[in-house]
Amino acid sequence: MNAPAQVLLLAQRALVQFPRNPILLGFSVMPVLIMYLVFGGLFEGVAELPGFPTDNYFEYLAPTAILLATVPGVGNAGVALAADFQNGYFHKLLTTPTSVGAVMLGRLLGDCVRLAVQAGLVLLLAIALGAEVATGVPGALLMIVMGTLLGIVTFGAISANLAIRTRDAAAVQAIQPMAFLLIFLTSAYQSSDQIDSGVLRTIIELNPAEHVLRPMRELMLSGYDWGDIGIGFLAIAALAAVALPLTARNYRSAYS
Amino acid sequence: MPGSWLHPLAWGFVFVGMTNSSAFAGTARSTLDDLIGPARMQRLATARPLGDAIVLEGLAKTYPDGTEAVRGISLRVAAGESFGILGPNGAGKSTTIGMLSTLVKPTAGRATVAGFDVVAEPTEVRRRIGFAMQQAGVDDFATPKELMILQGRLHGLRKHEAAARAGLLLGVMELAEEADRRLATLSGGIKRRVDLAASLMHLPAVLFLDEPTEGLDPRSRSGVWDTLDRLRSRLGITLVLTTHYMEEGDRLCERIAIIDRGTVVGQGAPAALKATVGGDTTLEDVYLHYTGRPLDDTRVAA
Repeated sequence: MNAPAQVLLLAQRALVQFPRNPILLGFSVMPVLIMYLVFGGLFEGVAELPGFPTDNYFEYLAPTAILLATVPGVGNAGVALAADFQNGYFHKLLTTPTSVGAVMLGRLLGDCVRLAVQAGLVLLLAIALGAEVATGVPGALLMIVMGTLLGIVTFGAISANLAIRTRDAAAVQAIQPMAFLLIFLTSAYQSSDQIDSGVLRTIIELNPAEHVLRPMRELMLSGYDWGDIGIGFLAIAALAAVALPLTARNYRSAYS
Repeated sequence: MPGSWLHPLAWGFVFVGMTNSSAFAGTARSTLDDLIGPARMQRLATARPLGDAIVLEGLAKTYPDGTEAVRGISLRVAAGESFGILGPNGAGKSTTIGMLSTLVKPTAGRATVAGFDVVAEPTEVRRRIGFAMQQAGVDDFATPKELMILQGRLHGLRKHEAAARAGLLLGVMELAEEADRRLATLSGGIKRRVDLAASLMHLPAVLFLDEPTEGLDPRSRSGVWDTLDRLRSRLGITLVLTTHYMEEGDRLCERIAIIDRGTVVGQGAPAALKATVGGDTTLEDVYLHYTGRPLDDTRVAA
């Protein structure tokens, strides 16, 4: 069996595994939906501020909700990986002719599909609440792709590396709240022009997630800005250039 | 040619047998003969491999913290042989079996399994080995049937071949009733049997077993021994197992190596080892003689 076929088999396994854990399924989708509804309701008035890019705060918040679904959500992949270590299944896989790379990519691909579905659910809720995607279905799909990729190369990589190093599902779960920081330190809830603190604005500008969120929001509210979209993918590529080799190196350390 | 002692023709006959059988229809009463195909045994016998399935030459492992787990072990295991590794906690049994199964990298010496070097040709080794681990390596969210089919597919079986083989092995291991239940809901003993069955999906030339019947009830243990015995005698599978059950060593192993502090302190057929101690001795006495401590002090395998 060739490597791509092995990757597909292992991706299928990751996808089948997920809905069989109702607690994991519930807790990876429900909090995002609840946060979206609560924050959308609480801060609805922000949309009335002069210069705010839309009069529908749920529209503004939709790309943030996509990131809330994909970035912390990808942490479940690390938890599943740590569980594989704990119950010995990871090493069982390593005694087959499957490469470590195929095991890694299989899990990654499965999680990409899962995260994209979760992000799609969030977007459907936004549309049900009256939000409109300015760029239509293609723009919506592009937003989901960008959000999914950001999740994989940031918290996905962090949780996978932690899983490999600690082989402890509880340790991976413990760092999950950190994922929210990545999103909160962006213009997730308020346009950065309206943030008074210069320090905070600088932090937001330095946060790669901001450069992914910005074109996503443009896709939602106004249209295609290919320059910003390009910068978004560059940010993802830069993160991937650090995260993927590091993860691959750690995976190889599975052989002691 | 590396691995030329294998018997691909014989496996081919077995594979064809798998695909032609009404696999799942017969799971409830499947026997090893269904798996192997009695009519093909004669051909298998003539194709049985000769030579060494496993060769260790000064194999050693020192961990980064300086722990010398294995200190230059040299052994040979003949193809089709059943070989036991006995030893107290920390003796290096699991590290040795880990190196042979390509999971642990040796720091000195060399080893070949099925004619392939474990460091230079790990993928070729993995194609030819099965490994039932001390901790049953199963995915709790899968069913036994799914787990086994995936294992077979990763070893290159086609979907229908893997499904047929899984059905037969589930029958052989008396797991047909549990075939579609989530592994998370099954007992530790059943998980171990599933792990063993999954390790057999590709009918490996060499099967490593780390404490294969630990946690099984006496009836299940006897069933596993019987299955392993027949797999070895009929398919020529080479068995390498670690165990702390002396009865298991006596029953399954043609030869035994006793390992202590990372080195082999004694090896030979159980009867020959007993003869070295003299009198009306048991394997337990032999163990005490070579390691200087009784087995009960070293219950958990290293």
